[in-house]
Amino acid sequence: MASPPPASAPRHAPTHTLRALATLTPPSNSRTWQTAPHPSSPIVATACSDRSVRVYSLTSFTLLHSITGGHKRSVRSVSWKPHVRGQDVLATGSFDASAGIWRRAQHRLEREITSSTGVDDDDEDDDDEYQFACILDGHESEIKSLSWSPSGQYLATCSRDKSVWIWEELEEDNFETVAVLQEHDGDVKCVAWHPEEDLLVSASYDDTVRLYREDADDWVQVSCITGHKKTVWWAEFEGSGMAKSDFRGQRDALSEEQERHIEELDKSGPRLATCSDDISIRIWRRKAREGGHGAKDGMPSIIRSAAVDEDWYEEAVLPQAHERPVYSVSWSRRTGMIVSAGSDGKIIVYKERWKASSSAQTESDGTPAGPDADAPLTEWVVVAELFSAHDVFEINHVVWAERADKGKRDGEEVVLSTGDDGEVRVWVLDEQGLEEEKEKEKEKEGAAP
Amino acid sequence: MDVDKQNANPTILSLSDLPSRRRGSNLNRRNDGSTGLFDGLIPQYSHLNDPFEQSLSSSDSDDDSVEDIDEQEVFDLISSISDPEHPLSLGSLAVVNLPDIHIQPPSSPHSSISTVLVEVTPTITHCSLATVIGLGVRVRLEQALPPRFRVDVRIKKGTHSTDEAVNKQLGDKERVAAALENGTLMGVLRKMLSTCE
Repeated sequence: MASPPPASAPRHAPTHTLRALATLTPPSNSRTWQTAPHPSSPIVATACSDRSVRVYSLTSFTLLHSITGGHKRSVRSVSWKPHVRGQDVLATGSFDASAGIWRRAQHRLEREITSSTGVDDDDEDDDDEYQFACILDGHESEIKSLSWSPSGQYLATCSRDKSVWIWEELEEDNFETVAVLQEHDGDVKCVAWHPEEDLLVSASYDDTVRLYREDADDWVQVSCITGHKKTVWWAEFEGSGMAKSDFRGQRDALSEEQERHIEELDKSGPRLATCSDDISIRIWRRKAREGGHGAKDGMPSIIRSAAVDEDWYEEAVLPQAHERPVYSVSWSRRTGMIVSAGSDGKIIVYKERWKASSSAQTESDGTPAGPDADAPLTEWVVVAELFSAHDVFEINHVVWAERADKGKRDGEEVVLSTGDDGEVRVWVLDEQGLEEEKEKEKEKEGAAP
Repeated sequence: MDVDKQNANPTILSLSDLPSRRRGSNLNRRNDGSTGLFDGLIPQYSHLNDPFEQSLSSSDSDDDSVEDIDEQEVFDLISSISDPEHPLSLGSLAVVNLPDIHIQPPSSPHSSISTVLVEVTPTITHCSLATVIGLGVRVRLEQALPPRFRVDVRIKKGTHSTDEAVNKQLGDKERVAAALENGTLMGVLRKMLSTCE
């Protein structure tokens, strides 16, 4: 429907550079799968195929803890429980079909971070380490991904056994299975939560993406998204309230059409990004449930019989910069930019912007032209492209995190990439020649009628 | 099916009929006889289909390690793998064939990643061991080739009843990784690969 035209040259004009900041040391000797930044502390956990989880500092870029002895096979996925006071709680999902919960008191951690010189005498006793708390058994085969809901109330896990499980922590270390969702026809590769609602997404080997929410005490599928032609490797929601910080942040001189776009996007709520073995990355958007704006853009309003069903449609396909399967995609919570990585070893950063044509249109006569009324108002462009980010190795995961080392600028983020080489690399996104940009802007303005 | 072997009487090629390094000097580097099966694997870079660009980019390359592995060498690496149910090699059973091996050089001067595509031909169309054979080929090449090679193993189109399903499995890195942590399967693979030097 609203698919943008295929990638063309102007959508591949890098304006930023990914600069290597650090490699977390020491790296693992074998494949690393995924790295999860802690929701509030400057630490990350990395899932390793050597059955361990490595916890690194983003301040010193060094290894703080190695969590071993729990899983019998590769640790595939890690997720920090949000909103926990006084301790760090980590969930680990493994190819051994089990999930583990680990805890560690937080006061020690703070001390470590403040004394970042690294020459403190803190290997005194065991309670400094992550303690195994409990095991979540139930899946029949490898756990591929797990994720805590934003409130920390639920933990979702998914597996090659085609199911998605939702666990609720009733009291500390007492987990109850609240749902076993068996909608997929193949391995479930990834689960992720909506940032504002208890809405869960899962992506699968069956090429579909499915969404679930609770309806009258039962978790049910509320949407099935088709569009990818091969395995969907990753799904992630956009951050909450991004209208303030992404392309929508600059509100001056917008056309009526653009204002309406922002308003409607706000009603849809955070969007969803998915990436696939088919090499594409797609953005999905929820059809706003109520509101009279549906009629304005010619869309018939839909009256639902099943009140919980949601209609998610493809809003955009990102310009294709990858040559092999894309394993991971992540939205920046600060800028709304998207970063992706995969088998080709590249890291690509994309940014959404208003299409030049629509702003030119407003400048000329202010009324939207008829034939273009259905064309998307925004487009995604590649702003940075990095080859061989992990030498010749594949990149399994990529994610944004708050920058925490001494050189950080205010509110700056880093990109963390996790590779088959066992390394987690830290990248800074630098804007290329700001001066050059200004020149270009001037030229553009000069060229406009 | 009174024997436990799925194909009790496979066609066997004489070892002397198999392509060897000595006679394979004049190899066609890129087989463009597209089967359609691997079209999806070829990056959407038009210069890849241009033989002149192709030769330019390989002569431009000053990295001498990049062009040192050809289809014959890949064939030599995998033809000696043993069939899981016969005491014969995949080469002699014509499960792997030189014309079905395709090497794609890096698609851009910024990249050092080459792709090896091997299409295997199962001895019979419903051979349930196709996945194991494919896995053996993939593991062998991942172990023997430098890490800059991406290994794609597929069932040759039309030779197997469930080729798409098998291809999907063989192409799934995560499944392959998990399979290699399975002791029983690893035992089978080790036996298959024990005949490779």
